[in-house]
Amino acid sequence: MGQNGYLCPWVEKEYGGAGLGLEFSFIITEEMAYAGVYGLMAGLHSDIVAPYIHTFGDKAQKKKWLPDCISGDIILAVAMTEPGAGSDLSSIRTTAVREGENYIINGEKVFISNGILSNLIVVACKTEIESRSPYKDISLICVEDGSPGFSRGRNLEKTGWHSQDTGELIFRDCQVPVSNLLGEEGEGFYYMMEKLQQERLVSAIMSQASAEAAFNMTLDSYKQRKGLHQSEIPIDANGIAEMATDIEIGRTFLNSLIYYHINGEDIIKKVSMAKWWTSDMANRVISQCMELYRDYGYLEDYKVGRFFRDVRAHPIYAGTNEIMKRIIGRKLGI
Amino acid sequence: MDFHLTTEQRDIQEAASEFAKGKFDPDAALDYDLRQQFPLNIWKNACELGFIGIHFPEEYGGQELGLLENTLIAEAFCRQDSGIGMALALSDFGSEMIARNGNEDQKKKILPFIAHGEGIVTSAFLEEGYFLAPLATTAKISKDGCMINGMKSFVTLGSIADYIIVVCQTRLDTPHAQTVILLEREIDGIEVSSMGEKVGMRMIPVDQVAFTNVCVPAENIIGQEDTGYFQLQDFFNEMRIKTGAMGIGIAQGGLDKALEYSKKREQFGKPIASFDAVRNKLADMYIDVEMARLITYKAAWSFDKGKPDSRAILMSKMIASKAAYRNAYEAVQIHGGYGYMTEGHIEHFYRDAKVLDLFLEPGQIQRNMLADHITGKARER
Repeated sequence: MGQNGYLCPWVEKEYGGAGLGLEFSFIITEEMAYAGVYGLMAGLHSDIVAPYIHTFGDKAQKKKWLPDCISGDIILAVAMTEPGAGSDLSSIRTTAVREGENYIINGEKVFISNGILSNLIVVACKTEIESRSPYKDISLICVEDGSPGFSRGRNLEKTGWHSQDTGELIFRDCQVPVSNLLGEEGEGFYYMMEKLQQERLVSAIMSQASAEAAFNMTLDSYKQRKGLHQSEIPIDANGIAEMATDIEIGRTFLNSLIYYHINGEDIIKKVSMAKWWTSDMANRVISQCMELYRDYGYLEDYKVGRFFRDVRAHPIYAGTNEIMKRIIGRKLGI
Repeated sequence: MDFHLTTEQRDIQEAASEFAKGKFDPDAALDYDLRQQFPLNIWKNACELGFIGIHFPEEYGGQELGLLENTLIAEAFCRQDSGIGMALALSDFGSEMIARNGNEDQKKKILPFIAHGEGIVTSAFLEEGYFLAPLATTAKISKDGCMINGMKSFVTLGSIADYIIVVCQTRLDTPHAQTVILLEREIDGIEVSSMGEKVGMRMIPVDQVAFTNVCVPAENIIGQEDTGYFQLQDFFNEMRIKTGAMGIGIAQGGLDKALEYSKKREQFGKPIASFDAVRNKLADMYIDVEMARLITYKAAWSFDKGKPDSRAILMSKMIASKAAYRNAYEAVQIHGGYGYMTEGHIEHFYRDAKVLDLFLEPGQIQRNMLADHITGKARER
């Protein structure tokens, strides 16, 4: 993908990118979702993690890392979740203590996408242990593969996303140069909040595209079976119409959000709505699509079953759907 | 009207639940699922304790009990573990056709064999294209016996079954003229091949079975010649109730796990069970289990009373399989990232639950059947 210019195409030419708009990156993410390909999590690499370096990194960090992110020599990951800190990001316990020119990082991260294959990881750490606000003591520090004291735990088995690794990261007195800090100390929580808008938009794009792909496949199969007696066909035209309507509503909403987002607008409320709604919708539609294939849909040889397993992650990652609703509530002033 | 189980029924329920808690090791369950292996030892153990074939007559190794008691067992097993539960619940798949329609010799030979855990019996009826009348698999019946040719798909347990009960077309000019025939799997002309990996229900092999000039004596015919279609419909009715039973179990198991996790897991300084988003889910899950249980028990009860209530039976499968799917879905959600990981011990409930929707016939087909009933298009059978 790197060789063909498909990674981070939005990065400026001076860092080796194609200098294109974000929409090109979203098209790539969408095409991968249509194909049901989760390997590398290109959307995560290009549109979720690389922007942290691009926005908050200094000139030297950008020059050092971005060209390799674009060529594919660096695979990126971002590590926020911990065993005790999932939805509640402010409760993370991984610490980074400054000692001379180094940070000493201690802690554990779990469920990290690209956790095993990545060689540059943006890690959310507490840099001030006893601060007055839990939101003002988190910093983002880049940990490179081979840093002393950094190791990886297991590559976790999961329902779907089988071509993608989900790992545990372990930091035991891990030494990282102070120059690996992204932006300012103590600003990490706000950086993450700023970038989560795009992460959730990418997640919604993946959900929408998965639903569309599974639906189109199912519609083709339905047409092929049309000669059969009604009692042999497990979906009727009524059900197909309902699914098509769901998908159209999702697409219209999503396209408007892509437009606002590229224009730099703050659409956290709407993106949170899209993230939960499209991921629920994708699961609903794909589960129903599976029924058209009857028992065949349950076989791994049929793509619909893989879509079924893969999209179950969507209501969970990038902030659970329950957290999305909490954010929407806050934005509504309740 | 009395909604209480009898003392005997409660004892059975408790015994099945104790057995499942004691014998279904959670890590072993993941391992069977991963390696796609039938839980042979647990199954044998369950047979020894009389949990399989409880609805067979006593003289054939059963306990002369009904579908309701059988439902209580399948429910308790699937509640503890969806994979092991389904494997045990389906280990006698098709035996009902022998119990209901078989002759004395067949019952004596097969039913105790199943109940005592000596071997596995399955049935083969589905074919590519899903036409049930006429079937493409044929049997020529003459005074020398039956000769079977054709191919069956989605034969559960095909590769490990000792006997296969096959439904064949016996008169080509009459779609419903079919005959049910008992076969030993090892005889000449039967070839079993796997249909591959599945999303869930991975402890149960699903196979294609090809029959090439398979010859057996006429005494292997179960029931009457040419009445197979109707025997199969009756079997489907029993299987819908059993699917309902498995559905209640998975739905309840999902709720149990979600409840336990959400009371223990803290975020924002308190257990997640105290947040509206989770409380709403738990309440909805509780409702789904209760609805599935009420309609499935009613369906089983009507069957045991000798007056199978077709509508309740259809609804049992529809409601319980949806409840299983929804509750497993929400249980995964409540477990968060952990829910999507195999080691969370809940994601296989989700993969397993979906088969209940597809099994026998998907929800929309059952909706059509129910609509036929209530609009007067179908005769009550």
